Amino acid sequence: MVTKTQAVDGAAIKKAIEGRDGKLLSSFYADDALVRVIDRNNPPSKPREIRGRAAISTFWDDICSRAMTHKVDTTIADGDNLAFTQACDYPDGTKVFCAAMLELKDGQIARQTVVQAWDE
Amino acid sequence: MRPIETRYARSGDVRIAYQVVGQGSFDLVFVPGFISNLDLHWEDEGYSRLLKRLSEFSRLILFDKRGTGLSDRVDAHHLPSLETRMDDVRAVMDATGSGRAALLGASEGAPMAMLFAATYPERTRALVLYGGYAHFHKWVMPPERLDAFIEMAETAWGTGATLPHFAPGRVDDSRFATWWGRFERLSASPTAAAALARMNAGIDVRGVLAAISAPTLLIHRRNDARVDPDASRFLAKKIPNARLVVIPGRDHPIWTGDVDRVADLIEEFLTGERAVAEAERVLAALLATRIYDTARLGDRMWSERSQRFQETWRLLVGRHGGRSAGTHGELMMSRFDAPARAIRCAAALRDAAQKIGVATAQGAHVGEIELRGPPAGLTGRVTMQLAAHAGSGDILASRLVADLATGSGLHFTDAGRIALDELDEPLALVHATSEQHLEPACRPKARMTEPAALTARESEVVSLIADGKSNAAIAAELRLSEHTVKRHVANILLKLDLPSRAAAAAFSARHAGPDGP
Repeated sequence: MVTKTQAVDGAAIKKAIEGRDGKLLSSFYADDALVRVIDRNNPPSKPREIRGRAAISTFWDDICSRAMTHKVDTTIADGDNLAFTQACDYPDGTKVFCAAMLELKDGQIARQTVVQAWDE
Repeated sequence: MRPIETRYARSGDVRIAYQVVGQGSFDLVFVPGFISNLDLHWEDEGYSRLLKRLSEFSRLILFDKRGTGLSDRVDAHHLPSLETRMDDVRAVMDATGSGRAALLGASEGAPMAMLFAATYPERTRALVLYGGYAHFHKWVMPPERLDAFIEMAETAWGTGATLPHFAPGRVDDSRFATWWGRFERLSASPTAAAALARMNAGIDVRGVLAAISAPTLLIHRRNDARVDPDASRFLAKKIPNARLVVIPGRDHPIWTGDVDRVADLIEEFLTGERAVAEAERVLAALLATRIYDTARLGDRMWSERSQRFQETWRLLVGRHGGRSAGTHGELMMSRFDAPARAIRCAAALRDAAQKIGVATAQGAHVGEIELRGPPAGLTGRVTMQLAAHAGSGDILASRLVADLATGSGLHFTDAGRIALDELDEPLALVHATSEQHLEPACRPKARMTEPAALTARESEVVSLIADGKSNAAIAAELRLSEHTVKRHVANILLKLDLPSRAAAAAFSARHAGPDGP
């Protein structure tokens, strides 16, 4: 169990995402967390599933290695549920928009579902 | 979907053309080989298939090296070093905001990718090297053969003359050969091509291999026509964290041959998960039909008959419960849910073609195909190759078709085996023969009483019957066995629906025109 450095809440997530801090983001997840991504290439009947903190760390390292801007807009918290939207821009102007639903357990993210769409 | 945008990154004073496709969670930079052209790639079926597959799980970054394709031309007499070209990769990554990417280096792109991985380990997520090498003269071409290749490239550049050196398996594919000629012309000028070839000959990156720390996947085709597979075996030994997979095939370009196999390996290596494209694949029987021996008809007659046959083809395919799956050059592809239907349709097409005055050659095979779009995968290619091998009137099928058609009443005879580049094992073949009943199970609705319904050989036999010759005499004259002549006579009587030899003789007399019956 990694020692928690920061409680997971909307503000912490916003700070980590907008600061492209992959390490901090990864630390928010439980060891056996599950992230499901639904988009054009990963339809609802077969979403992409990223299981466990190691795979999730790689996922966030990849995303955060990109020189793009992220803006977390709306955060809604309701007990152990958290939701936010995120608008992202690549340097060439391509935009991505994501909506994420999170389930927290013992102060860590246990389950996250991301729905995203992009310019094409 | 909007068209793929081509943008330009600045690398020193030079503009490098690039495209970004897909939205995967990690970046994949494709470092092309000898020559490339970003726009043209999408016009080739294999190339666009490969790029589509790769962009389904990554954000795929494509570019043309300086001096090639859509990137700035450079002084062909002073081409930049491998290091400078490698720096173009970094410039493109910067322009696309890619801090860290997996690199896919194909052919000459492999040494460039290796150099990048050794120079920028922090920006290299992983390395995939397809048909790569570390030293040109050792594994691609010795110095004495290089001059001849460069001379050929200089004198015949733009005609597609280099194709046999890269993809000998596609030389007979006229559409691809034409595309290859355009690929040469639109990717480099003759002077640049010769200069590039000369420069690539200087490639030797053996010294940097030990410095590559990224996990590396090596892929090489077993009988690669251009680069010796030992090149990748050497890389596997020298790159610390490398794994080699040798796959069947001899065509060198990464976008030829079994592209899906290559994409599967790359996807599994980079995502840690096996490709899950199966959901969209279905089992189907494919039939490829071509008109045999087009040379003997004049252009106009050929075009008329070919058009008539294509109309008949659509009709008959539908009538047999199949779907026409488009034409591929002169090949007509159709798909069926059951192999027996495909064979029955093939037999009907053969008969219909005879009526029109042409002969068919057909191939049938069973396998998985993409549910959407034309059957462009391995099953499709094997079926087309069977049609290419089939003789006049033949229905050449894989043994699998015969096995699955058991109980259908269809008859097949053994037709040996055929070795195909893309298959690990030679494929067992059969000929589909006519259904054999003691009595015709049902008479064909339209009585084929036109002389054209007879094959050339049968026409000869009818003429000789009309001359009053016996089977033995006909056999001697045509250098056939008496048994074969008997078979011909029986077929003639069946086709013309005539009761006896005498009737056949009378028929021949009735129909003898300037061209004979």
